[in-house]
Amino acid sequence: GDALLPAPQSISVLSTNMKHFLTWSPVIVQGATVRYSVEFQGEYEREYANGSWIPTSECSLTTATVCNITEDISATVAYRLRVRAELGATRSPWGTMKGFFNRATTSLTPPLLRALADGHHLLVELADMGPTLQFQVLYWRKGQESRVRQKVVREVSSVVHLDTMEAGAEYCVKAQTHVEAINRSSSFSPTQCVRAQGDTSVWL
Amino acid sequence: SGQLYCSLPNPRNVRFESINMKNVLHWSAPEGTGDGVLYKVKYAVYGVGKWIRKPECRNINRTWCDLSSETSDYEEQYYASVKAFLNGTCSDWMETTRFNPLTDTKIDPPMVSVSSTDKSISIILTAPEKWKGSPEEESISLLQVYPGLQYNVSVLNKKTKKRWFFSINNNTLVVPWLEPGTVYCVSAQIHVTTPLLDSGFSEEHCIATLKDK
Amino acid sequence: TAGVKIFHFGACRVPVSMTEIRAGFTAIKANIQSRDPIRTLSILSHPHSLHKVKSSDRCCITHHLFTFYVDKVFKHCRTEDSFVNRKISSIANSFLSARRKLGQCREQNNCVCGEESTERFKQILANYEGLNVTSAAMKSLGELDILLDWME
Repeated sequence: GDALLPAPQSISVLSTNMKHFLTWSPVIVQGATVRYSVEFQGEYEREYANGSWIPTSECSLTTATVCNITEDISATVAYRLRVRAELGATRSPWGTMKGFFNRATTSLTPPLLRALADGHHLLVELADMGPTLQFQVLYWRKGQESRVRQKVVREVSSVVHLDTMEAGAEYCVKAQTHVEAINRSSSFSPTQCVRAQGDTSVWL
Repeated sequence: SGQLYCSLPNPRNVRFESINMKNVLHWSAPEGTGDGVLYKVKYAVYGVGKWIRKPECRNINRTWCDLSSETSDYEEQYYASVKAFLNGTCSDWMETTRFNPLTDTKIDPPMVSVSSTDKSISIILTAPEKWKGSPEEESISLLQVYPGLQYNVSVLNKKTKKRWFFSINNNTLVVPWLEPGTVYCVSAQIHVTTPLLDSGFSEEHCIATLKDK
Repeated sequence: TAGVKIFHFGACRVPVSMTEIRAGFTAIKANIQSRDPIRTLSILSHPHSLHKVKSSDRCCITHHLFTFYVDKVFKHCRTEDSFVNRKISSIANSFLSARRKLGQCREQNNCVCGEESTERFKQILANYEGLNVTSAAMKSLGELDILLDWME
């Protein structure tokens, strides 16, 4: 019966930049491959659907002890998560994570950014961090820190144009990751400064 | 006439194909039927109790029927249906899925016009218009239909092969401080966040900045 | 991206993850609407269109409709398809989150219910109760884009 197989322990969520992973300790059975199934329960299920549980999209009968639950945690409410071990027909009791997980608590890291000067043009390249993230890019002329300008960048498929620069002047850029769905931002990336091309006659 | 015994195979893949809310019903001929099949079409506004025949698409042998006029109110949703006839027998009525003109249309890229001086290019973008029944009718830009509409603009320096990307809300963009005597190629895309609708990128419009005086 | 739309009702701001909700609905639209064979009835759009609601009544109707979906609709839409169930859960939890903020607007008196919105919502409930509960719930879920289109 089920009693022979212990429930998975040490169940927790690792969440960074709106990517959420459930992890747990393996259930060891000598010479056997134990598999696991994961289910989730949102606030709606608790309050309006008799506390029902829903199988996750990626982790049923998986041998891994980590599960990508990003697709399933798709609202900003408190979720509960549970894992069960399975060995053939034998199933363990459910191991339920202590407490709740709300994606609003995800940890946000500053973006990888590269500021570029192309002639008189200030440009920025940002590493893609997934569809739910966008970037607030701040830029200013060095020495005019009080006149910082901002641009929200959603598509990061290529080099994004920020502004045109005055000849020979130095401009600085920094950016933070922003998630509209939870209305939170990361800390800023280190500032990078680039210098605009010198005077206009240089095209000759 | 008496009820026909409908043993003809059904028209297949009955669906709306919509671009800029020009909503055309398309289907494929019943399997195994050669020439000579005729069709008739009806449509219904979802939630309203009756099917309406489309006279211009009665006893037609083509496999499409323009229902743009009948489905032009994009605050409604629609169904359409097709029946095939051949040699005195007929098929069943075959229906589309529910069609929502607002979310199920595709959007053409914007029109792009570019002009240049020696050191700058000016780009004017024009969103496509919603389909209209006749030239006399008032034109409605898709900008009015999708208020959150934005433009993504790509500018390629043909000499350095560097491509820059702009995301703008209004329809004009001036890129100053460019290299004189250099060819720049511009293409643009329409981006609507919600409902999520993106056009493709337009063809590239290339223009050379004037040689330095 | 998770396009969040901020709805303003008086001084009240209600952020709703419209892109996530729409993505969830688009993924199951054909499946859900195929379970609704009744072409001649609509819960939300006939006989009265949502588009005729006065702007002063928008907040109240929106709150009524979010409550309607949370209390009456989603729970009767469980299917045999776990993909569909997951998407319904995602939409339901997003609605719950948005409804809470709408409730706060009502508490701050930014969401006044006029006679029209009350009458309009009564008609919607009458449409709903005119069908058996599963058909009514599935039809209502299949009309989610009518609500979302109107909200935007």
